[in-house]
Amino acid sequence: MSPLDWMVLIGTLTVIICYGVWKSRGQRNMESYFLDNQSMPWYIILLSIIGTQASAITFISAPGQAYTDGMRFVQYYFGLPLAMVVLCITFVPIFHKLKVYTAYEFLEQRFDLKTRTLASSLFLIQRGLSTGISICAPSIILSSLLGWNLYWTNMIMGGLLIIYTVAGGTRAVAYTQTFQLAIIFGGMFLAGWMVVHLLPADIGFKQALQVSGKMDKLNVIVTKFDWKDKYNIWSGVIGGFFLALSYFGTDQSQVGRYLTAKSIKESRMGLLMNGLVKVPMQFLILLIGALVFVFYLYFRAPIFFNEAQLARVHKTEQGPAMLKLEDQYNELGTLKQQQVKQLAAALETDNHTQIASAKKALQQTDDQSQVVRTQALSLIKASDPTADTNDTNYIFLHFVVNSLPKGLVGLLIAIIFLAAWGSIAAALNSLASTTVIDVYKRLYNEHASEDHYLKISKLWTLIWGVFCIVVAQFAGSLGSLIEVVNVLGSWFYGVILGIFMVAFYLKRVGGTATFWAAIIGEIVVLVIYWTGTVSFLWLNAIGCLLVVLLGWIFQYFVNTRRLSDSGLR
Amino acid sequence: MAADNLQEEKPPLFPSWTWWYVLVTAWLLLLVVFFYLFTKTFS
Repeated sequence: MSPLDWMVLIGTLTVIICYGVWKSRGQRNMESYFLDNQSMPWYIILLSIIGTQASAITFISAPGQAYTDGMRFVQYYFGLPLAMVVLCITFVPIFHKLKVYTAYEFLEQRFDLKTRTLASSLFLIQRGLSTGISICAPSIILSSLLGWNLYWTNMIMGGLLIIYTVAGGTRAVAYTQTFQLAIIFGGMFLAGWMVVHLLPADIGFKQALQVSGKMDKLNVIVTKFDWKDKYNIWSGVIGGFFLALSYFGTDQSQVGRYLTAKSIKESRMGLLMNGLVKVPMQFLILLIGALVFVFYLYFRAPIFFNEAQLARVHKTEQGPAMLKLEDQYNELGTLKQQQVKQLAAALETDNHTQIASAKKALQQTDDQSQVVRTQALSLIKASDPTADTNDTNYIFLHFVVNSLPKGLVGLLIAIIFLAAWGSIAAALNSLASTTVIDVYKRLYNEHASEDHYLKISKLWTLIWGVFCIVVAQFAGSLGSLIEVVNVLGSWFYGVILGIFMVAFYLKRVGGTATFWAAIIGEIVVLVIYWTGTVSFLWLNAIGCLLVVLLGWIFQYFVNTRRLSDSGLR
Repeated sequence: MAADNLQEEKPPLFPSWTWWYVLVTAWLLLLVVFFYLFTKTFS
C-alpha cells in the first residue's frame, strides 16, 4: 500500500473511533447502556440492522461468490422480506410491551428459567464463537494479500472497536454503524464504477453486462429444486425465511438493535424497510463481482487468487509443476483476452450466429482454464493438506489491491475494517447484555445498584471482546471461515427459533416439554449435519419444526402423566 | 390474551397487516420478474 493509502486507512479508522467515543457520553445505567433509553428513530434502527448483518465477509465474499458462481446467491435473501412482516406482527410488540433487555427474558415469562437459560446459553456459544471467526476471516485475507502479520491484524480488527463499544454501549454501536455504512456504500459504489472505468474504452456498462451474461454470471434466478443445492429460489424463500426469522427474531445481536427504538412503530418501520432494501442491496454488491469477472477476462486473472498460498507452493517440490500449470493458464488467459474482444465485437453487430460462435469459443477456453485451475488446486492440497483451496474471498480484494488507484485502495481496505467493526460491535454488545441480564443478574446478583450493573456490563463487553480475539487467533486453521460461520449458525438458529415459535403459537405447551424438545431437536440437527443429508440452510427449518413437533408431543405425555397422577391421588 | 391484543395493533403506514403482506409479496414478485428478465436479457 502507498503512503496515501495508509493515510486514508488510518484517517478513516481514527475518525470512526473518535466519533464512537464522542457518541459514548451520558451512559448512566443499564437501560441507557443496552437500550439507549429507547430513543432511536426508525432510520437509525434500519441502518443499525443492516450494519449488524453486513459483516466484512459480506463485502469481501459476495463479489467473489458472483465471480465464481454467478449472482444466484441473491436468492439466499428471498425469504427475508416476508420474515420481517411476521416478526413485526409477532415478536416485536411482545418484546416492547414486556420491556425486556434481551429476547430470552421473554422465555422465562412464557415458560421457565431453564428454557430461558438454555436459549441464552445456545446464543452465547454460537455468537461468541462466530464473532471470533468473523474477526479472523477478513484478517486472514488482508494479512495474506498485504503481507501483514495475522496476529496484529486480528488485534486491530477485533480490538480497536472495543474502545467505543465498552464506553458507549448500544448508542455508540448504532451511530458508528450509520456513519460506517455511509462510507461503505460510497466506497462500494466507487469500486463498481472503477471496474467499468478500467475496462477497455469501447466497453461500457451495458457491454460488460452482456459479456458477463453470456458467461452465465448473471444467473440470478434458479428454479430447479435440489435439496443439496444451496442457492435456488426454493431454498432461498423457504430456508431463507426461517433463517431470517430466527436471526432477526431470536439473535440478540439483532433484537438488541430494534429494542432501542423509541416506539413499537419505529422498530417495525426499521425492520420492514430492511425487508424492502435488503435484496436490491445484495443484488448490487453481487453485480460488482459479475463485473470483476469481465475485468479479469480482459486483464488476465491469476491461477489462484490467494497469491501468498501460491508462493508457498512454489517453495515446495510441487513448485516446478505449479509454474508449468501457471504458464498454461496464462496462455489460455491470453487466448481469452482475444476471444472476449471478438465476443464484444459480435455483440455490437447483433449477429446471433456470430455471437453464438464467439460465446462458444470463449466458454470452451474458460472450461479449459478451469481444468488447469483444478489441477493447480490439487497441487496446492498436495503441498499442504491443511491449505484452503477456496479462493473466493480473495477475488475482490485482489482486484482492489492490484487494480484500483492509490487512495481508493486505502478506502476499500478501511471499508473492510468498518464492515467488520459494525457487526462485531453489535455482537459484543449483545453478548454482554445476554451475559449480564440472563446470567449474572438473574442467577447470581439480582439486587445490586444501577451503577454496579453498568460497570459489570462494561466489564463483560470487554471480556467478550478479548474472548473473541482469542478465538480469532486460533480460528485460522478451520478452513473456509465464511462456511464455518454459516454452518455454526444453522446448528443453533433453527432450535432457538423453534423455542420462540412454541412460545408464540402453541399456548398449551409448557416449559418442560419445550426444554426437552429443544435438547433432542439440537441433537437431531447435529446428527443430520454430520450425515450430510441436506444443505446447511435447511437445518434452520428442520430444527425449528422439530422443536415445535416434539414440544407438542411431549406436552401430550406431560398432560397424560398429570392426569394419571391426579387420578392416583 | 394480552399477546392477541398486541397483534391487533395498527401497523405503520397502512390500516392493516394484510397490506404489508401484499406489498412485500408484490415487491418480491417484482424483483423475481426483474431478475428473471435480467438473466434472460443478458444470457
